[in-house]
Amino acid sequence: MTATAATEIISTKINPNVVPHLHIWEWQIPLYLFLGGMAGGLLVITSIMIVLKRKFGIGPKDAGEGCPCLAIRIGSALSPILLAVGMIFLFLDLAHPLYVWAFYTTVQPTSPMSAGSWILVAFFPLAVLQAMLVNKRQLRTFDVGIVHKVLDWTEGHMTIVALVNAHIGVGIGIYTGILLSFFSARPLWSSSILGMLFLVSGISAAAALMLLLAPEEEKPIYSMIDANAIWIELVTVGLFVLGGLTGSANSSGAMMHLIGGNAVMAGIPYAYWFWGLFVGAGLLVPLLLEFLEAAGVHIKYPNVAPIMVLTGGMLLRFLIVFAGQSYHTFM
Amino acid sequence: MANKKNYGMVIDTRVCVGCSACVYACKSENAVPEGYCRDWVVQETKGNFPKLTMENRSERCQHCENAPCVTYCPTRASHYAEDGTVQINRSLCTGCKACLAACPYDARYIHPDGFADKCSLCHHRIEQGLKTACVSVCPTGSLHLVDFNDPDEEAQKLMAGRIVYRQKEHAGTGPSLFWISASNKPGA
Repeated sequence: MTATAATEIISTKINPNVVPHLHIWEWQIPLYLFLGGMAGGLLVITSIMIVLKRKFGIGPKDAGEGCPCLAIRIGSALSPILLAVGMIFLFLDLAHPLYVWAFYTTVQPTSPMSAGSWILVAFFPLAVLQAMLVNKRQLRTFDVGIVHKVLDWTEGHMTIVALVNAHIGVGIGIYTGILLSFFSARPLWSSSILGMLFLVSGISAAAALMLLLAPEEEKPIYSMIDANAIWIELVTVGLFVLGGLTGSANSSGAMMHLIGGNAVMAGIPYAYWFWGLFVGAGLLVPLLLEFLEAAGVHIKYPNVAPIMVLTGGMLLRFLIVFAGQSYHTFM
Repeated sequence: MANKKNYGMVIDTRVCVGCSACVYACKSENAVPEGYCRDWVVQETKGNFPKLTMENRSERCQHCENAPCVTYCPTRASHYAEDGTVQINRSLCTGCKACLAACPYDARYIHPDGFADKCSLCHHRIEQGLKTACVSVCPTGSLHLVDFNDPDEEAQKLMAGRIVYRQKEHAGTGPSLFWISASNKPGA
């Protein structure tokens, strides 16, 4: 036996959800991060499609009215709806939800959570306006005075609205990752690439959702966007893993906790969840399916690939949030 | 600067016997709910038999100069007090738990009534010119409340010429708790 510098520590600290390891955020937070990321992704994709509509050949069917195709009408509406649902989960997570107003009494530039609470508020007016503009023909049939006024006043500026929204969407997507990555006390989260990872994952989930909802003739474009987003996500996941493994003992230990340790989530080791269900079933298999489909191979169940992408995207948030908490605090 | 306080603690682990009196004094003084604690006792044993050393020490919020909990708090609930300590304004705390995740010392918990809670360095007692509950009850005189802007002679004498450390200084937090290592004991 080799000599080791053995250390044994016994502590009387008993605080629940702090010892034996942090356990402060449960299903609400990963679900919020997933929905928020997807809402950001939907806003990015729909905005860019609106700005570039003619170049993609998916331009408005009824050019006279300037309304884009059905998937963009649905996606634009779903973006603020999904974010609102996500914010309900965020609200449910607060230990004192009645004090939620306190977020809006101050701007704390060093607190990502403060910045985020303001980004969330900034998101809604323009996202809702975009959803109204692309659905204006349907909205006008309800004949509501104020809706008519808003549409009359803004309908000439849809491209500018979409251009601003593309940036807000990227901001929301990155923010869902930054929220975790600024915690230097939690080694797994303390990675600056987490913002990019959650952004591309949000975009690929949004593309998958639009692929599911789009009518047959609009599907190819979303399949292409999704495949590209998955490629970028695979690279980003690789960088996240390598960045952790090549880091200090804190970072490499936390990364091994996620990708190779014995620690479990719902009875199954994180490693199986990560490699098998996230990277394998959530990225590689759907990428292959979408590649085959684009190459002309007949896929019997074309909805399988986007559903796998959506499941993988949600799983990523659960894995990062739970594994980040269950690994020991910065040493 | 001269009149501004900067409170912290010097903890002499050479004389700590790990009796937990500090823990129970704190629980009683601050009405800490059952099953929770604002301070705790750690027993650390190092080395290989027969060369073993043991250190008992009382631990709590480090009242950092650069506190991640304050940096991360979205509502100003966690803030620096005039006397150099870190305090929580309960009427601004939403219970978002960002401060719990931010603390490298895991010094905080969520109070069952829905706010983040931790050691206040007995702010209410210091205001009245009293020592903290833990300091006043410590039977071996291990705990010392110190104003580091104007350290008293006793604290200076305690630290002079001894191995003194702070915890996780490399986290960049500037902790205000100093431990006099048990390795200063003769024969250690």
